[in-house]
Amino acid sequence: MSAEPLAARTRARDPLVARRLRRLALHLVLLVVSLAMVVPFVWMILTSVKTEGDLASYPPHLLPQHWRWSNYSTALSYAPFGQYSLNSAVIAVSHTALNLVLASMAGYALARVPFRGRNVLFLAVLATMMIPTYSKIVPQYLIAKGMPFFGGNDYLGRGGHGWLDSWWGLIVPGALTPFAIFLFRQFYLSLPTELEEAARIDGMSEFGIYARVMTPLVKPAIATVALLTFESSWNNFLWPLIVTTSPDKRVLQVGLSSFQQSDQNAWAYLMAGTTMATIPMVVLFLFTQRYFVQGFANAGIK
Amino acid sequence: MAAPATQLARSGRDDPPRTARLGAGPRARRGSGPRQSRLARDRRRTAYLMLAPATVHLVWWIGFPVAATFVLAFLHYDVLAGTATFAGLDNFRAIFADSTWNASIWHTVVFTFFTVPVAMAIAVVLAVLLNNKMRGRAWYRAAIFMPHITATVAIALVWMWMFEPRIGILNTALGWFGVKGPVWLGDPSWALFAVIMVSIWKGVGIKMLIYLAALQAMPQDVYEAAELDGASKARTFWSITLPLLKPATFFVLVVSIIDSFQAFDQLYVLTPDGGPANSTTVMTYEIYSKAFKEFQMGQAAAMSVVLFAFLLVLMLLSRRLTGREDDVR
Repeated sequence: MSAEPLAARTRARDPLVARRLRRLALHLVLLVVSLAMVVPFVWMILTSVKTEGDLASYPPHLLPQHWRWSNYSTALSYAPFGQYSLNSAVIAVSHTALNLVLASMAGYALARVPFRGRNVLFLAVLATMMIPTYSKIVPQYLIAKGMPFFGGNDYLGRGGHGWLDSWWGLIVPGALTPFAIFLFRQFYLSLPTELEEAARIDGMSEFGIYARVMTPLVKPAIATVALLTFESSWNNFLWPLIVTTSPDKRVLQVGLSSFQQSDQNAWAYLMAGTTMATIPMVVLFLFTQRYFVQGFANAGIK
Repeated sequence: MAAPATQLARSGRDDPPRTARLGAGPRARRGSGPRQSRLARDRRRTAYLMLAPATVHLVWWIGFPVAATFVLAFLHYDVLAGTATFAGLDNFRAIFADSTWNASIWHTVVFTFFTVPVAMAIAVVLAVLLNNKMRGRAWYRAAIFMPHITATVAIALVWMWMFEPRIGILNTALGWFGVKGPVWLGDPSWALFAVIMVSIWKGVGIKMLIYLAALQAMPQDVYEAAELDGASKARTFWSITLPLLKPATFFVLVVSIIDSFQAFDQLYVLTPDGGPANSTTVMTYEIYSKAFKEFQMGQAAAMSVVLFAFLLVLMLLSRRLTGREDDVR
């Protein structure tokens, strides 16, 4: 007797057992995949508290023989991770705040106010979302470099370094994402007209209607845009890499990459640094999963 | 940054009637008295003011730079002097005469060809599994998605440590099975494979999430009908789930190709300077190095144009591949 009819018969006779088995297999597969996803994080944290002896031992111990948490404070003096993190945080917070204000205003106008050319403008916003980073990065750099009157430049933007290696250059270009405009517009579109008309009859100004009546109603959009902006700004690498040269303007990701190139052997300190760079985002994600998932399912990509 | 392609197509078409209804409102349409027209003017003025900063920013940092890339590609541009002269096709001739650039195109294609389909296949299976109601579902989803929200640079450094040939965890684990692991990132024939592995690991989460969202929006009655007809799980997956996932697949494919062609961070960290014997240099790395190490802006812009052309063609191809336009919309 072949295996298949037998299996079919068992299933037919005892559907509960078959269902339990299938459930078990399902959990097993997902567990293995989840482990594969999490292993690098675990290995990173384990390495970050190892001593030199642990690191050098062959074959390596999986668990540290001695959990040396002081690696973290040593790492902070080994490379200026504190300064890097602060820079990253300042930039990420600025980007988040600016994006929320600029994109919500634009999204509101596109959603709620009729004017000629509105649809063309909205399509243009969509088009800018499609533009690949690498088809604009070179001129963006040149624009930053050629900013008139900044960084020793004359009125034509010549002679100095403009916005390069400055907070302006780090913050302004990334202060607005077209995706945020798009998301806000979709949320504002779904609000009822009655609210804004009632507010108008009460004599509220048009800007007041946006700021005090409509915007408090799109809190999920605010949360989603805030989290996605903070995340992509904190993790961003290419732009800070090309516009910064002095170490005190480096962000965490750039600092980490330069650490790796200067010192190959300090793995524990490096892993302490990468833990500081990744764990805040992981924690933020675990607590606000709903908004992240919602946002990413819409955005698809950062 | 890429767009939600499916939504784009949809909102682009559905938009006019909907916004016209919502925006103008019954009052504005009905009346044309002095009060209404003053109100409409007032609203428009506010709208323009609210749109101004965003519009200026988009034109300044996206619209103008994109146009400038295409102009710059045909110029000899001297960064120090700030002077430009017309170059014709010189920049394109120069880059294609460079064997490293040609190799980088090939590496980019290989990298994409392996990363995208493998990650998509894993993602769709995981999404279908996670679409079951079960205990711990949120935790599984969080674990699978976690690589996506962590900084590529940081996590690539962790992988670099895992790839360490002698005491790294990967070769240690292989040693348990009596396999002597390769030098990974130091070996020209393994380096690109190693980077592909990391990229698949990092890319599965977001694709899974988009598929999961699509699955949850699916009509349930089709599945009930299939169950009544006695269709097996595998059969249901191939004959119902996958065809229904076509729009999502198009979206994931486009987004993944754009993402994969622009992969930079993990390559920069794992295999600096183009990798051992330039075995992992990709188009993005060549653009980076041409523009910001050699300051050959014209040639870098020409490379950007080539990259752009590749993406455009691939996008049209994937539209063909995943079905007719009607399906997409």
